[in-house]
Amino acid sequence: MLSLQHISKFYQVGGTRNFVINDISLEVEAGEFISIMGPSGSGKSTLLNIIGMLDEPSSGYHYFAGETVHQLKDKQRSALYKKYIGFVFQAYHLIDELTVYENIETPLIYQDFKSTERKAMVADMLDRFQIVGKKDLFPAQLSGGQQQLVGIARALIAGPKLLLADEPTGNLNSKQGEEIMQLFKKLNKEDGVTIIQVTHSEKNAEYGSRIINLLDGRIESSKQL
Amino acid sequence: MIKNYIKTAFRSLQKNKGFTTINVLGLALGLATCLLIVFYVVDELSYDKYNVNASRIYRVNEDLKLGDNKVQYAVCMAPLAQTLKNDFPDVENAVRLKKIGDMHVTKGTESILEDNALFADPSVFDVFTLPAIYGDEKTALTEPNTVVITEEMAKKYFGKLNVVGENLIIDGNLQKPIKVTAVIKNIPEQSHFHVDFLVSMASNPEGHSTEWLRSDYNTYVLMRKGADYKRLEAQFPQFLRKYSGGQMQQELNMSYDTFEKNGSYFRLNMMPLTDIHLHSNLTGELGTNGNVEYVYIFSAIAIFILLIACVNFMNLSTARSANRAREVGVRKVLGSARKHLMFQFLAESTMVTFIAVIIALVTAMLALPAFNHFAGKNIIVNSHTLTWLAPSALIAILLIGFLAGLYPAFFLSAFNPMQVLKGKISAGFKGGALRSFLVVLQFSISIFLIIGTLVIYNQLHYIQNRDLGYNRNQVLIIQHAFELGDHAKTFKQEIKQLPGVTNATLSGYLPVKSTRGTGIFYKEAVADPKKSLFPQIWSVDEDYISTLAMKIKAGRDFSAQMPSDSNAIVINETAAKFLGFTDPVNKVVYRSSGGPNPTYKPYTIIGMVKDFNFSSLRDNISPVVMQLNTDNSSLSIKVNTANIPALLSQIENRWKDFTPAHFQYSFMDQDFDAMYRSEQRIGTIFIAFTTLAIVIACLGLFGLAAYAAEQRTKEIGIRKVLGASIATIAGMLSLDFIKLVCISILIASPIAWYLMQKWLQDFAYRIGIAWWVFAIAGVAALFIAFITISFQSIKAAIANPVNSLRSE
Ligand SMILES: Nc1ncnc2c1ncn2[C@@H]1O[C@H](COP(=O)(O)OP(=O)(O)O)[C@@H](O)[C@H]1O
Ligand SMILES: [Mg+2]
Repeated sequence: MLSLQHISKFYQVGGTRNFVINDISLEVEAGEFISIMGPSGSGKSTLLNIIGMLDEPSSGYHYFAGETVHQLKDKQRSALYKKYIGFVFQAYHLIDELTVYENIETPLIYQDFKSTERKAMVADMLDRFQIVGKKDLFPAQLSGGQQQLVGIARALIAGPKLLLADEPTGNLNSKQGEEIMQLFKKLNKEDGVTIIQVTHSEKNAEYGSRIINLLDGRIESSKQL
Repeated sequence: MIKNYIKTAFRSLQKNKGFTTINVLGLALGLATCLLIVFYVVDELSYDKYNVNASRIYRVNEDLKLGDNKVQYAVCMAPLAQTLKNDFPDVENAVRLKKIGDMHVTKGTESILEDNALFADPSVFDVFTLPAIYGDEKTALTEPNTVVITEEMAKKYFGKLNVVGENLIIDGNLQKPIKVTAVIKNIPEQSHFHVDFLVSMASNPEGHSTEWLRSDYNTYVLMRKGADYKRLEAQFPQFLRKYSGGQMQQELNMSYDTFEKNGSYFRLNMMPLTDIHLHSNLTGELGTNGNVEYVYIFSAIAIFILLIACVNFMNLSTARSANRAREVGVRKVLGSARKHLMFQFLAESTMVTFIAVIIALVTAMLALPAFNHFAGKNIIVNSHTLTWLAPSALIAILLIGFLAGLYPAFFLSAFNPMQVLKGKISAGFKGGALRSFLVVLQFSISIFLIIGTLVIYNQLHYIQNRDLGYNRNQVLIIQHAFELGDHAKTFKQEIKQLPGVTNATLSGYLPVKSTRGTGIFYKEAVADPKKSLFPQIWSVDEDYISTLAMKIKAGRDFSAQMPSDSNAIVINETAAKFLGFTDPVNKVVYRSSGGPNPTYKPYTIIGMVKDFNFSSLRDNISPVVMQLNTDNSSLSIKVNTANIPALLSQIENRWKDFTPAHFQYSFMDQDFDAMYRSEQRIGTIFIAFTTLAIVIACLGLFGLAAYAAEQRTKEIGIRKVLGASIATIAGMLSLDFIKLVCISILIASPIAWYLMQKWLQDFAYRIGIAWWVFAIAGVAALFIAFITISFQSIKAAIANPVNSLRSE
């Protein structure tokens, strides 16, 4: 589904190049569930963002769903992204001014779905995540776990093939975290969504089918479960 | 999608109620003020446009130079109008108007003086648009002793509108019944002349005069369609030579060539009707005109205020939108294109502008009566106003909304979403170079306005307290003393006997707005314009100089004991200077009798008075010659009593012994103030607008300071935990803004100095601009800014740090 070859990313600090991602090559097949681990500052988020096309590498080759990403223009990349990828954040990043319903609906608006279609899709998603009762609440009125649930629902609403999650359980207690992981596993198994998550927890990492360990911008080890 | 945007916008505005309120109110206040000024300017610019043929109507003005004396008249010679019509095919029509000074109309037992009465040629209705309600305009003014009146006068004198065929009884010089031949609509407010009675020119005994050397008639020309008035003007010199040459030879015993060779001239020029109100201030105007300078000044103020308000709006919107960087990041991650985000911000600011414009419109309507009152206007909003107001409001909404939303739209939508979400872009407040620039702009304007106000006020104060060369305090003026007829002198003597009266003088020639007359004196007994004086000639009595406390610089005052004083004159210093006399006393000057073989009558100068101001202090003092002569226009009484009402009723009782005419009086100092009423008004309006401008600017600063404090809550919290005092933190937060205000002072001061210096050039008597004006303006701006900011800073500094740190 995607392939990174000799991807590097550096920041120029003074005269020296500070490599955050250092010559990483990575193949991901459709249907995989990958957990990325590593100490803080090792480049996990940066790698995830590059995969998600939210950040550009300094060098290397990037292929996604048959497209040569490093050669695409901004617009095409954005279209590709809209079509295939959903993002989940550690800090949820819901829009405070919108209700649960409206937050979930937003990506559909940007993808030009019709109002009736949107209604059906959002209703379906609310149902699936069992948050129908909360649909008119604002993010500030929800607990962290509930907010992350909405965040995931929003990431999934447009039916992405790839779900990227940067420490999705980082702000949650272990019970809430476990629920989210169960949900990911189910998505991966039943719906065939490819998932790449960054996590600090060994236990959560083991929900995945492969664990990649990063250190100083390199893949230190990779383990198939 | 739009619904989603509007929803977000609305909720976000609601969440930041304080900001939204400041933002909307500031803009609304600015727009409302601006709108009032626009009303004023539109009103000033619309003068005389009610005439259907306005663009083809011109007034003929006359410039006269005799020796060193120059006068510009708004009036021309009696035969001019008809002759122009006969001689030039480009002239479609022409009309003469002449003010009737003493039109008394009888109503029951009362005799009412009507100021707005004119003699008019029948063509007045062909040139101007004065629609008749009753009667036939075509024939209305062809006969002698006919009058056309306005509907207001019809109601006043007859209590009904259709009064065609009825008679008005006229007192004063006309002394006869005249027939109403038509009733016209009231003359619009926006007319350079206001008339209630148009009396047929045929009733004017001098109407058929063929004098080409006297100018008494306001003359208007209606040009043919497509005709160029410049071409007509070019033919005037030849035209004048043809018609006035003969009379000049006869009356002045001088050929037109000699006249011109001496450097003297008559010149005619044409002034477009629509220019008169704002661009004309000549001798012999039909009414008091406006001044284009004030239109410029107010337009500038309107633009300033609008600018300040928009800058506020932009600054606050931008500042607030930085709070929404995260929302932008999220939306981008969710797939929003940049153009969507830009659209969102623009739509949002347009929405806010819309609300502000609505509030502004309502506010302006509510404030209009008060504004009318102190601007001395009578502006009304009608359906005609809406035809330009509605589209302008719409344009304003779109334009301001667009401009205010522009910066956030471009700036925020360009963020890299991941960096925003990581909190890398805190939209650092200090980094807002644009915002700093805008704050400087606002405060420069405010400081400029403060300096302007101070200078204008100082100048007005100076004018009102200047030594004018006479004493206007405690002088009571009894108007229309001519009503007393032959008893005027007796009346004066009786009044002088009253306790509380120190002196009294009979003369209509007063140093406040009143009668004026001119004439020519020659240094020798020949009509040589090179050795002539062209002064105002004032008829006074022997109590005049002492009543007004004028100072005799040389020689003596008129005296009742000296019979020879009937051939004596007293001149002012300027007249002596013009005549070239260092010691004018006992020098003799001459007046010509006119006509063929004129005789020259000698006048001895017996005294010279210190120069005194008798017209606006904008003008230099011109030569004045005083002459003992009977002029019963008014009686000026110098009083010396605290109980003026009692004295007044005594005087009124005496008056009633002599005449049934209405007793009218005024005080000279009030008449003097009236000469500066327009300046006074401008001063008041200027202060009001300056205050508003500063309030709006401070509103913006208040918002920005609040925002800056909010942005730095975390920093403040940490600093406090580390032991910083409230004062240090408040100082730290205030300093950034205070710096900007200081820069503004440096920018505004020289500009203000330059422009106000230019304004002062208009006054013959003016103040210098003192350094302390700048000091006061600077300190005031700093003070106001400091108060505004420190409120927010102290609030932020006092807040419990635990709260702010927990929120992160
Ligand atoms: N804009 C930037 N400029 C310089 N260095 C950066 C920037 N963004 C990230 N980094 C550096 O990149 C490294 C990797 O960051 P990140 O991918 O967020 O690490 P992780 O998610 O593994 O904690 C960190 O050391 C960070 O300091
Ligand atoms: Mg990270």
